[in-house]
Amino acid sequence: MKDLVGMLLSVIAAFLLYSLLAKISVSMLFLFNFFSLIVIYFALEKGEIYGAFLGAFCGLLQDSFSMSIFGVAGIAKTIIGYSAGYFSSKINVTPIRRNFVFVFLLLCVELIIWSMLYSFIFSERVNTGEGLIFFQPLITAALGSLAFYLIRKLKSTKI
Amino acid sequence: MPFSIKKAKSLIVLFSLIFIQLVFISIQVPMGDESNYFERIVFSVFSPINSGVVSVFRGIGSIWKNYFGLHKVQKDNQRLQKEVFRLNQQNSLFRSMLRTYKKEKEMLDRVIELEGSILPVRVIGLDASNIWKSLVINKGSIDGVKKDMVVLDKQGNLVGRIVEPVALKQARIQMITDTESGVHVIPQGKNVPAIINGIGNGLCTLEYVHATDTLITEGDNLITTGIDGIYMPGVLVGRVVSVAENISLFKEIKVEPAFRIQNLDILAVIKADVNELF
Repeated sequence: MKDLVGMLLSVIAAFLLYSLLAKISVSMLFLFNFFSLIVIYFALEKGEIYGAFLGAFCGLLQDSFSMSIFGVAGIAKTIIGYSAGYFSSKINVTPIRRNFVFVFLLLCVELIIWSMLYSFIFSERVNTGEGLIFFQPLITAALGSLAFYLIRKLKSTKI
Repeated sequence: MPFSIKKAKSLIVLFSLIFIQLVFISIQVPMGDESNYFERIVFSVFSPINSGVVSVFRGIGSIWKNYFGLHKVQKDNQRLQKEVFRLNQQNSLFRSMLRTYKKEKEMLDRVIELEGSILPVRVIGLDASNIWKSLVINKGSIDGVKKDMVVLDKQGNLVGRIVEPVALKQARIQMITDTESGVHVIPQGKNVPAIINGIGNGLCTLEYVHATDTLITEGDNLITTGIDGIYMPGVLVGRVVSVAENISLFKEIKVEPAFRIQNLDILAVIKADVNELF
């Protein structure tokens, strides 16, 4: 129950950050993907099943606030949620640099799956925000790995 | 290594989730722009959060301004801004009507009808998949917002129309820059009807202008004709930014929308039935 509340609050926090970013600058929306960070974080902490469910939920939430087909972002996030949980149980991705590479790769995979599904269903090119979207995995991964590192530090000092 | 039950379970979960979403997608594709029930539920449940964020930040902003700024000037400014907004909308609509109507009495009746039909709304969200597709606003069915109502910006330029889902206190706008949007237009002062389609990157294309046509030039302002039955006539839609010829029968014309995405904080929903009014 505590986990579920934590996840829901994190999703709401991601949603708040997304809304805030839209208020600050529209271009920033292309650079940050807070929902994916939440999915990856919980997948690393709780495993692949949590990751897949949270990925599906966050993706569908993202889809419901867009004119996109309901399920396109859902599938992409379900896959990265599952993959994050699965691979982190096989390899140690805790060190910050390794964590950065891991998150970066997952976000690249998500972007590729989402773009392919989007282009296939809508028969149109994805709006790249004049190329800004290609920096999304890099910037989101940098922010994410730093945030995950700080959370771990904070948790260890509490203990 | 033996294939564990736990691993099998997790794979079943993964494939089930993907399968469910694929079913969702395959159901929706033939439905076009109609939203399904599940999407409506998620939209209705989470849109108040979006609305709340905007209200909180607006609240913080206004506290700051009210306490640290000049209180009276601030109030006057707010009142005048609202007045300018209302007058801009009215001006735009009246200009459209003047083009359509000649009789004074008929005009007066329509003006009275129009005055109560402008609903100011605040943008609380942008499209997560493409910012040029749709917007979410803080007014919904409770405020009288319905599908296909026309939406204008502060200056009275066309932004788009209301599409589903319409929640109690939130609604979605399909922008004219969306690839699935189409608006019937003509260049101001020239009789060359055409259709504007979004191309998903902030620009639009003007379709069906014959290659031999020489009337449309760069800088032409495009206004709605009202023929599509959704948008009222005479509203400014955009400006022609380039005209090129290619091997097809039609010219390749790029149009920049008249609205500025950075300025889309407050919009106006026209609640009146445009087919009855114009």
